[in-house]
Amino acid sequence: MTDERFERVLRDAAQDYHRPPATPREEMWRQIVAAREARRRRRVMLRPRLRWGVGIAAVLALGVAIGRWTATAGGPARAPIGPSTVGPSDLAYRLAAAQYLTRAEALLTGFRAETRGAEPTAQFATQARELLSTTRLMLDSPAGQDLRLKALLEDLELVLAQIAQLPATTDREEIQMINQGLEHRSVLLRLRTANPAGPGSVRTQGAL
Amino acid sequence: MDERELIARVRAGDGAAERTLYDAHVDRVYRLAYRLAGDDDLAREFTQDTFVRAFERLASFRGEAKLSTWLHAIATSVVLNGLRKVKRFHRREADLDDAAGVAAGRRAAEPDLKRRLAQAIDDLPHGYRTVFVMHDVEGYTHEEIGASLGVETGTSKAQLSRARARLREALADFAGEWAS
Repeated sequence: MTDERFERVLRDAAQDYHRPPATPREEMWRQIVAAREARRRRRVMLRPRLRWGVGIAAVLALGVAIGRWTATAGGPARAPIGPSTVGPSDLAYRLAAAQYLTRAEALLTGFRAETRGAEPTAQFATQARELLSTTRLMLDSPAGQDLRLKALLEDLELVLAQIAQLPATTDREEIQMINQGLEHRSVLLRLRTANPAGPGSVRTQGAL
Repeated sequence: MDERELIARVRAGDGAAERTLYDAHVDRVYRLAYRLAGDDDLAREFTQDTFVRAFERLASFRGEAKLSTWLHAIATSVVLNGLRKVKRFHRREADLDDAAGVAAGRRAAEPDLKRRLAQAIDDLPHGYRTVFVMHDVEGYTHEEIGASLGVETGTSKAQLSRARARLREALADFAGEWAS
């Protein structure tokens, strides 16, 4: 068979390869409209949380900057900060940290619940990325000197990084691995212990 | 309404313009999705996802390429990532033993050729298969394929040539029959 003839035969025969039916225009359009409306509603719901995230990050950044400034100012070395050694001047940091832990808990609880039945939405990855940068600030803050909290933050950093990567690599195995990691390291339990539920003054009685 | 005006109206939130844009491109996107997925549910899902993403990202469309090229870049990315994710490549059953029994004329050979060809296309490496389907089946130009897949047109041509060579090899036992 000559190349030209072969190509002609090939092209003709290939027209039957996965021959598409008529385009289901109306059905697909209805689905597109519904999907966009659902996304729009989700965005509206998430917007206030985003503002909180920026606020928390700003307070933590300020805390880290003050910490670094006081350390370089030649003051006496500070003892590691544990539950009983936090002074009243750290109130802003403690509130920001409590809010951060509350958001992390909400994200991980939601992630675990949603991934039982379906694939997680991209919003989880977006929120995980925001929290990830706050986690790094937390590790640099006085919280990073508390061994118990530091271990929790490091586990959180790992889980959040895995969730943040999900849009590019989503598959059930990966999601299962994240959930197994959450269970195995008791991340949610430790989060709740570090940041007990309740009004502001009670919240800061955990690891913070 | 020209393309620029249509895009401006969609960006401004004009629902009728959105539908016009959809109607202008949906057939080609759905056909490509179906050809590559071989499954109606997947093809619908990929097409819907393509348009949802396109409407969301239209604000970032700078008009450097044609809208159809930009849209097909989204479509091919959605389809190829989707196929990778769900790992549902549809392979048609090909009973290779039957081929030995087919020594009849052109008419009798045709259905078997198509069946064998479908199997051979399914067996191509993903890159070759995508380029072959886009060019030889759906009629995309190498320029369109290059822009959609983010590769040089030379790469597209080379992959098509290799795809055809593989198919020729897979269908070698038909060569004598079709030579005359």
